[in-house]
Amino acid sequence: MKTFALSIVALALTALTSPAAEKIRVSSFSTVLTEIAQQVGGERVAVTAHIKPGVDPHEFEPKPSDLKTVGDAQLILVSAKHLEGYVGKLKEATGAKGSLVEVGDRFPSLKMKADDGHDHGHKHAHKHGESVEDPHWWHSIANTEKAVKIVRDELTKISPADKQAFASNAAAYAGKLDALQKWVKVEVAKLPRDQRKLVTSHDAFQYFAKENGFTIYAIEGVTSGDQPSSKKVAEIIGVIKAQSVKAIFPESIQNPKVLTEITRETGVKVGRELYADGLGEGAASTYEGMYKSNVTAIVSALK
Amino acid sequence: MRGSPLLRALCAFVIIAALGWPLWHLTRPAEVVAGPANPLPVVEGKAIGLQLDFTTPPKSFAVRHLEKDVWVDSAPQSQMERELPLVFPENGVDLVFHFEWPDDAPLAAARVRLTDPHGDVHEKSVWGQGTVDEVLTFP
Repeated sequence: MKTFALSIVALALTALTSPAAEKIRVSSFSTVLTEIAQQVGGERVAVTAHIKPGVDPHEFEPKPSDLKTVGDAQLILVSAKHLEGYVGKLKEATGAKGSLVEVGDRFPSLKMKADDGHDHGHKHAHKHGESVEDPHWWHSIANTEKAVKIVRDELTKISPADKQAFASNAAAYAGKLDALQKWVKVEVAKLPRDQRKLVTSHDAFQYFAKENGFTIYAIEGVTSGDQPSSKKVAEIIGVIKAQSVKAIFPESIQNPKVLTEITRETGVKVGRELYADGLGEGAASTYEGMYKSNVTAIVSALK
Repeated sequence: MRGSPLLRALCAFVIIAALGWPLWHLTRPAEVVAGPANPLPVVEGKAIGLQLDFTTPPKSFAVRHLEKDVWVDSAPQSQMERELPLVFPENGVDLVFHFEWPDDAPLAAARVRLTDPHGDVHEKSVWGQGTVDEVLTFP
C-alpha cells in the first residue's frame, strides 16, 4: 500500500514538472515563422500566430490584446528587415520577460526600390525610387533554412533540456526544405534560361529571383490608384516587348484599363496571383504549399 | 529600198540575229557552277559530350533538357558516354538527372562530366538513394 501511494505521488510530481505541463510561449508576427516555430518546437511550444495566413503584414497593426499576449510570451518572432513598424511597441510590451528575435536581420539583405505609399512598415514612408531593404527574405529557401536554425537555437536557450528534440525537429523540417528546393530546381529547369523573366508590380521576389536565376522587371504604376502616364505605360510595353516576356504578374490591380492596354499591345499573358507577403489560405497555408503555388504559377505562365 | 520583200525580210532577220546573239550572250544569266561544298555551320548541340560514372549503377536513368528526354537508359553500365543532341546556349544549360537506384543499394553517387562545345570539361556529382531527381547547371 505504501509503495502504491508513493507511486501515485511520484506520478503526480512527474506530471507537474513534465515539459508537457508548461509549454514555451511563442508569439509570432510572421506566418512563415509561425510554421517554423510549430515545426521545430513541436509539442513543447504554444505558438500564438498574431498574423494569420492571407493577412497582409504590411497593413497589420497589433491590437492591445496582441500586446498583452506578447507581454506574457517567452519568445517573440518578427520577420524584421523593417517589415514590422511596430517593433518598438512590442519591445515595450515584452518588458524584460520575453526574448524578441528579429529573424530577418540575422542574414544579408537585398535592396528594393521604395514605392510611394508602400512603406513596408516603416514609421516614415520612403521617397519614390529610394533604395530600401527588401523584407521578403522567405522567398529564398536558403534563408528559411537559416531561420529554422535561429528558431531552434532560441528555443534551446529557453529550454536547454529539450535541445535534442528541437535539433531533431529542425533537422526533419530542414529535410523537407531541401526536398522542396530540389523540386523547385526541377520545375524551373523546364524554362529556358532566357525566359526566366519575372515582371511584377510588387517588388517582392528578388530573393526568389536570385536563388533561381530569374531577372526581375518591375512595372510600377499598374497597381496604384492613380492613372499612370501614357509615357509610363509605353515604357512598360517597351520592356515587355524588348525582353520578349510571356507573362506578367500584377498584384492588386486597380488600373484594369492599363492592364488591358498592356496585354493588347504586347500579347502578354496575365499570370495567376503570387503569394508575396507570406503564407496564403487553403493549399498555400503551409510554406511548402505557398512556395509550390508560386513556382507552378510562374513556370506554367512563362513556358 | 528596192528588191523583193522576201529578200528584205531575210536581210532584216540576219541583221537582228547578228546583233541579238552578242546581246543575249552579254545579258544571259551567269551559269552557276557548283564549287566544293562549304562546311556546314557547327551545330553546337552535336558537340555536348556527357560521361557518367556510377559507384553503383542505377536500375535506370534519364537525362532531360526542357522536359525532353535527351538520354534514357534502362540497363546502365558503371561508366557510360554519349554526345547529346541539344543546343548549348552561351549562358549555359540546365539538365535534369533522374536516377533510380535499387532500393536496397547503399548511398550511391554519379559523377557527371560534361564537355561543352568549346572543349571545356565541367564535373559535378549527384548523391542519393532510391529515386533521385536533381538539376545540374553547366557551367
